[in-house]
Amino acid sequence: MTAAASPPPARFRLSAEDKPIVVAAGFILVILAVGTFYTLATQGAATLLSPTYLLQQLQVGAFLGIVAAGMMLVILLGHIDLSVPWTLAAAAMMATAVGGGAAIPVALGIGLVVGVVNGFGVAYLRIPSMIFTLGVNAVLRGLMVAHTGGFAPQTKATELMQWLAVGKILGVPVALLVWALVSVLVVLMLNRSALGKSIYAIGNKEAAAYLSGVPTRRVFILAFGLCGMCAGLAGALLAGYSTKAYQGMGDAYLLPAIAAVVIGGTNILGGRGRYLGTLVGVILIVLLNSVLSIMQMPEAGRQVIYGLVIIGMLLVYGRGARVTS
Amino acid sequence: MTEVNEAGGAPHVSLRGVTKRYGGVTALEGVDFSCRLGSIHAVLGENGAGKSTLIKIMSGVVRPDEGEMRIAGAPVEFRHPAEANRAGIVCIFQELSLLPDLTVADNISIADPPRRFGLIDSRAQRRRAEALLARIGCEDVNPLLRVRDLPLSRRQMVEIAKALAKDPKVLILDEATSALTAADVERVFGVLRRLKAEGVSILTISHRMHEIEAVADMCSVFRNGRHVETFAQGARSAGQIVEMMIGREISAQFPPKPAPTPKPPVMETKGLSWEGRLNGIDLHVGKGEIVGLGGLDGQGQKELLLALFGVLKGVSGEVKVSGKPVRVRSPLEAKRAGIDMALIPEDRKTEGLLLPMSIADNLLVASLDRLSKGPFIDAKAAAAAVEDGIRRLRIKIGDAGDPVATLSGGNQQKVVIAKWLMTGPKTILLNDPTRGIDVGTKQEIYRLLRELADAGAAILFYSTDYEELIGCCDRVAVMYDGRVRAELEGDEITERNIVASALAMDAREAAE
Repeated sequence: MTAAASPPPARFRLSAEDKPIVVAAGFILVILAVGTFYTLATQGAATLLSPTYLLQQLQVGAFLGIVAAGMMLVILLGHIDLSVPWTLAAAAMMATAVGGGAAIPVALGIGLVVGVVNGFGVAYLRIPSMIFTLGVNAVLRGLMVAHTGGFAPQTKATELMQWLAVGKILGVPVALLVWALVSVLVVLMLNRSALGKSIYAIGNKEAAAYLSGVPTRRVFILAFGLCGMCAGLAGALLAGYSTKAYQGMGDAYLLPAIAAVVIGGTNILGGRGRYLGTLVGVILIVLLNSVLSIMQMPEAGRQVIYGLVIIGMLLVYGRGARVTS
Repeated sequence: MTEVNEAGGAPHVSLRGVTKRYGGVTALEGVDFSCRLGSIHAVLGENGAGKSTLIKIMSGVVRPDEGEMRIAGAPVEFRHPAEANRAGIVCIFQELSLLPDLTVADNISIADPPRRFGLIDSRAQRRRAEALLARIGCEDVNPLLRVRDLPLSRRQMVEIAKALAKDPKVLILDEATSALTAADVERVFGVLRRLKAEGVSILTISHRMHEIEAVADMCSVFRNGRHVETFAQGARSAGQIVEMMIGREISAQFPPKPAPTPKPPVMETKGLSWEGRLNGIDLHVGKGEIVGLGGLDGQGQKELLLALFGVLKGVSGEVKVSGKPVRVRSPLEAKRAGIDMALIPEDRKTEGLLLPMSIADNLLVASLDRLSKGPFIDAKAAAAAVEDGIRRLRIKIGDAGDPVATLSGGNQQKVVIAKWLMTGPKTILLNDPTRGIDVGTKQEIYRLLRELADAGAAILFYSTDYEELIGCCDRVAVMYDGRVRAELEGDEITERNIVASALAMDAREAAE
């Protein structure tokens, strides 16, 4: 070989993966600043910056955060799980129906089973996940309506579920700790385990991963299974939060979860993205919702702004970040 | 620098002092270059020599940082490939630009389909495709087939037809023959010679010396972003040219072969068949042996490798590894202990590499299970394995955390090979591993294969380049219509014998 080309001078540069995280984090500061300005002007107090308010937001964010953590695994594969709303609801309903010490294992188990079914459909039947999981969502809804006879279930969440959702340890919401635990596990899995590396590899190029001997089918089933388990856990917590399970309790979690993952810089086509981004994305969405409601924005206006923010954020960094070959 | 003014006429396209930088890397530096109408001009150089950048500038894909470009004496500045097309410069790029789910006819006319009442006239489009395909001797390609269903070499011919549809004044071919069979290459050369006679200026990049000798009348050598020399084809010996390209002398192109000795078979097949593409293959590869797969493209060589590696479903026949019958149903099973196979796939960009991922991640992707302790990857062992792989194959990198896409083609292929060597394979299957790779890296790969064989690996090696089969292999199995037509050994491995067997001629018949 002839003399190597001199390496480019080292200087600080944001990688394609870090840029969205920084942008999203900046936007969180903007939301807080605007909200604080508003509360100072109307109430004369910086309510948004009080620890109580922030912890409360994180507690609410925990439910979305756990769903988004699971969703991220599936999105990294280049797939999507649209069955999350009714996986969550079914897990919550069955958990409250069973009750006692078995409640939370039942919720997790139902999430896992649904996820494995999703993974099986994608890995073995080769049905596009968007279609398959949508079908599974409808089936679950039907099963739950049949189970409850169309009425709101009368069963109550167990003490443990309620404690996990609203309890506090030394002033810190337990839900937040659960979210933190899930996050640590996901980060370790993504960065340090063979499963994590395999998820990124498949999301980048399934054919290349398969030809490298990556157990692609097993990875699909595990990733969808973990996503389902996250939805099940979120269902158990959410039932604890509102002391009971109800129809449609998961409906508000599907799009925000996908949005949080994508806002955090994960490529919707798979293969790229960091978990930190998903965390930032969840916080951004929760704060945006909260600040808009503090500002007494009517629901219609909130939806418009919410949608525009997502589109705007994606425009800022969603394009042109491709690696040229 | 010497300029040879053979044709005498004024240059049609000329570049003066063209420089292009990508970040801190200078791809071209102060290049003066010109080509004339009615000539075939070969551009030679290792990967990273600046050839690709040169043609990207000429065809309007990138803009130079400094310098100017003139066409027929008038300065031009292209902002878009379409502008270059309008100026008569058409480029056939190394990466195929066809849309796999559209038909051949759709692809050929994609930029400017014939219209009738504002809608695409599919009949005219088909006739146009037929005419263009006939022009390059590919009447057998049905214009209504989807490109996805064509083998790679046919796709490349469609690509050429598509370029001709634009009626070029300057036609640039970037490695356009590297995926073609010998017969197709001849057809393409016929077309090029005809175009030359019609006054078209043709610029071709190729790594195959004998092709350049066959068709070019001018050669320009590039090295490290600089134009080294331009000379009339034939004015320099092949050795001199290679020396110019790599800037040092090379002794032998291929490592010496050991004396043939009987070797215990590591891998055997009996009656291997698959869907009419493989029709009963009996083959064995011994310990320490390099067996080449020859023959025309599309005679089942790729399918054989894929069948062995467990990629194809519905394969019948028997495969034995170290004497034991095995059934390999997936690459995952193929790399398991006891079978220990590795496959270097055909297309490194889509099958071999995860382009946006880091060099380290790419190196590790086949060894994740081996490097895991409990649920987690052993970070120390992984780092050591990465370092070892990079050193062993002398991969030129900045940082192991950089995306693998930032490497040159030769170094990318080294990553694919290193990834598989990490798994400690006993049988190594290679599917045309040196396609589109510079001379220096090719030689390193040849040497590596011989070293691996000497260390006891069984190597099955498909190549579309006969020189490689002759120089590298202990034995060559020539395939024809999904069968092994002939096995050549030792002195029998000659171009004449390979070609004769590839055309299913009797060796003696061909000699007469």
